[in-house]
Amino acid sequence: MTGVNVSAQPMAPHPRSFARAAGLFAIWLLLVAFIVYPLVMLLLRAFLADGGFTLDALFAALKSTSNLRALRNSLLLAFLVGAAGTLVGLAFALALDRANLGPRTARLIDGLTFLPLISPPFTTSIAFVFSFGPRGLITYDLLGIKNSQMYGLTSTFAAETLTYFPIAYLALRPMLASISSNFEEASFSLGGSRWHAFRTVTIPLIIPALANAFLLLFGCSLADFATPLILAGSDFSVLPTEAYLQITGMFDLRSGAILSLLLLVPAGLVFYAQERVVAGRSYVTVTGKASASARRDSLSTGAKVALLTFCVLTVALILYFYALLFWASIVQAFGANQTLTLDHYRVIFTEGLPAIKDTLIVAIIGMPLGGLYGIIVGYLIGRTKFVGRRAMEVVSMLNYALPGTIVGIAYLLAFNDKPLALTGTATILIACYVFRYSPTGIRTTIALLQQIDKSMEEASASLGASNLVTFRRVMLPLILPAFFAGLGVVFIRSMTAISATIFLVSIDWTLITVKILENMTEVALGPAAAFSVFVIAVVVAVTGLLNVALRRMTAPSLRISRIGT
Amino acid sequence: MAKSLEIRLRGISATFQHESRGDITAVKDLDLIIQPGEFLTLLGASGCGKTTTLRMIAGFQQPSAGEILFDGANVTNVPANRRDIGFVFQNYALFPHLSVFENVAYGLRIKRQNAAKIDAGVEQGLRQVGLQGLGGRMISELSGGQQQRVALARAIAIKPRVLLFDEPLSNLDAKLRVEMRSEISRLQEELAITTVYVTHDQEEAMAISDRIAIMNEGRIVQIGKAEELYRKPVSRFVAGFLGNANLVRGTALAADGGRVTLDIVGHRWTVATDATVTIGSVVDAVVRPEAISLSRSDGALPGIVEGRVFLGEKAEYRIRTGDLELLVVQWNPTAGELLAAGDTCSVNLPAAGVQLLV
Repeated sequence: MTGVNVSAQPMAPHPRSFARAAGLFAIWLLLVAFIVYPLVMLLLRAFLADGGFTLDALFAALKSTSNLRALRNSLLLAFLVGAAGTLVGLAFALALDRANLGPRTARLIDGLTFLPLISPPFTTSIAFVFSFGPRGLITYDLLGIKNSQMYGLTSTFAAETLTYFPIAYLALRPMLASISSNFEEASFSLGGSRWHAFRTVTIPLIIPALANAFLLLFGCSLADFATPLILAGSDFSVLPTEAYLQITGMFDLRSGAILSLLLLVPAGLVFYAQERVVAGRSYVTVTGKASASARRDSLSTGAKVALLTFCVLTVALILYFYALLFWASIVQAFGANQTLTLDHYRVIFTEGLPAIKDTLIVAIIGMPLGGLYGIIVGYLIGRTKFVGRRAMEVVSMLNYALPGTIVGIAYLLAFNDKPLALTGTATILIACYVFRYSPTGIRTTIALLQQIDKSMEEASASLGASNLVTFRRVMLPLILPAFFAGLGVVFIRSMTAISATIFLVSIDWTLITVKILENMTEVALGPAAAFSVFVIAVVVAVTGLLNVALRRMTAPSLRISRIGT
Repeated sequence: MAKSLEIRLRGISATFQHESRGDITAVKDLDLIIQPGEFLTLLGASGCGKTTTLRMIAGFQQPSAGEILFDGANVTNVPANRRDIGFVFQNYALFPHLSVFENVAYGLRIKRQNAAKIDAGVEQGLRQVGLQGLGGRMISELSGGQQQRVALARAIAIKPRVLLFDEPLSNLDAKLRVEMRSEISRLQEELAITTVYVTHDQEEAMAISDRIAIMNEGRIVQIGKAEELYRKPVSRFVAGFLGNANLVRGTALAADGGRVTLDIVGHRWTVATDATVTIGSVVDAVVRPEAISLSRSDGALPGIVEGRVFLGEKAEYRIRTGDLELLVVQWNPTAGELLAAGDTCSVNLPAAGVQLLV
């Protein structure tokens, strides 16, 4: 009966349809206010001058060589990070899925790849500075290079690759696991070597996943603001940092808006390509069902050793960076005075306390709102039928798909004045995080709902349950994992993200990430490191708690892999 | 125990909107009375409207026309949760976040029964399906057959007035299917709940039902006991659906006192029938493969073995006799009786083995 709509609707009593209509109206109101309206304001600012529509500003921006260079640099960086990150991610996916590691080793490596995903965006960059900067542990102390020139493409590329490769790993591993070992065995049985099977069977089967991973990383790098701000230096400008400098340095909102829109073209293309690549792919295969497959023997010993060495070295590098960060947070002055001290922590809990308090308030208020918003919108899109459903899905994803710089500038332009003068409040920060990071919860809800057959609701009805009872006792418990996923992502991002909110902080409401950035520019490396350690500790603790709650409260068969990804 | 309930469907239709093909009528103006305590099976190929009919009885779907009466009371507009039904789904539809106990207790909790009653109800339900002691398990820890039993226990625990089954055994392997169907049959007899059962498996339908309604293209084409349908099919469709059938066409040569002589591609066959047949008219007849016997000796109707499948307890032959190809089943063949492809034989047919479709 697929593709068939029942014209004779299952009987819905009136109160429920009224509640649904009211809910739909409220959601649309929020979507228009916090997604459509800011973007419209951004476009108006960019293309409206002297009371008329004009592309002059755009053409002027495209004539500027510095802007064009920033665009070219952004694309080059994104391409390199996409390619390299996908390869590293593939190496990890292969090692963990095919190298028959012991469960404990596998879990350890798997857990450590998770670290960059939950860290503030500059963690890797700061560690890079500690390691390769003018007073860096490796460049200065180890190699004795006096004037290290680390800023530029190479270090930005390396830091971003290290930060984002786990996303590729997470996208690739379930795909590798879902390929039945029968395919490879079939190839062996036909006389192919392992390498031949890998080349002719495995790789072609995961090409969509590889393309998807590449596009994901391309998009991440394109939108990344923090890493280039710290590591790119003045010679290698990229679009997000250029836009930021236009606005904060020259108070030129219009140029900033135009620059951020230049980002929109490649970002839009990537999003479109990605939708095409993943279209029609079943979510069910990504739930880890297939991971319980039999032992595979698809890698030769040499390949296993090579892969493992590579992964262990990468993981060691990550650990080294985090150790360095921790070390910098507990010594007087990194690189000069290695006396142990808690001074930096004292600083962040006194002078930095307002930022910590603000960040936690924003994150804690945003978390339940984002979780709730995610499952409500997900349920509406995934389980009900109404006019404009597809439009709601697209609009709800916009702020997530757009680079943070665009969203930040749009919010800045939209909420400075009436009717919604929110600049300088906590509301604007919370709204920014909720609408930008809840789409994960929305998508997880939709994916879970796809696994929950309609008969589940009918079974409940046949046993005498009303619609409300069915929702509360059957549907809600089953989509609870999505709620937790939504909570986790909104919390993590509220603690760590910066690209959009850097435009929205004020004297009254600031954020830890912004403080870290300030510290970095003032070369107050100790407090920057201490702040980063604090954020990582809080995020690890909270996601840990959420994971425990998730495990306790949800059905094993409908569990999502883990929170925060 | 409450008195069993009568279900009456009066002129019900169901129309679907299809994305590309416009309106599709899945059930067309269907009338059906299900007797109190009866086990009725809706049998048909996929797309014949049997599941839609069942879902309308359950209240999951509203008919676009007609009405549904439970003991004379019109329930057409009563939602499923107030129809007092037990429904067993093809995919079981067990709640994965609840234990076996909580799944079975679900309906009892909705009825706000006290803890002691719930315990007793669940215990009884699990005992009735042979799952005592498994209440603490999670659904994912059960085998397919056990899950099917939990689904059954959950449906009967609320002591419904109607039991509805939507192809409940189609996900089980053949052996388990036979075991479960006799269990369902025993349970239904014990509980005497009016039951509607949907399947596409004719053997299952014959084994389990008091009456079978054969459906095709949204209509009931014949309804009756298994034996009636088998012995007196009203159409080629029914004859072909219930058991195997050779469909032949002949001309009536003579008729007297319950016997008709037919000319079938040049051979004369005498057939028993209650119907009056006009001499010279063309009639269709059904010959069951198991009614035909083969022998090596010469007979009235010589044939040639075109193909043979040996299945142990029986052998199936394709026999050509003139222009006619017949499917023949030979039960429990001895080594001497077994024919091989290319052998000649004679085809013997008792008059009672042929049914006229008139």
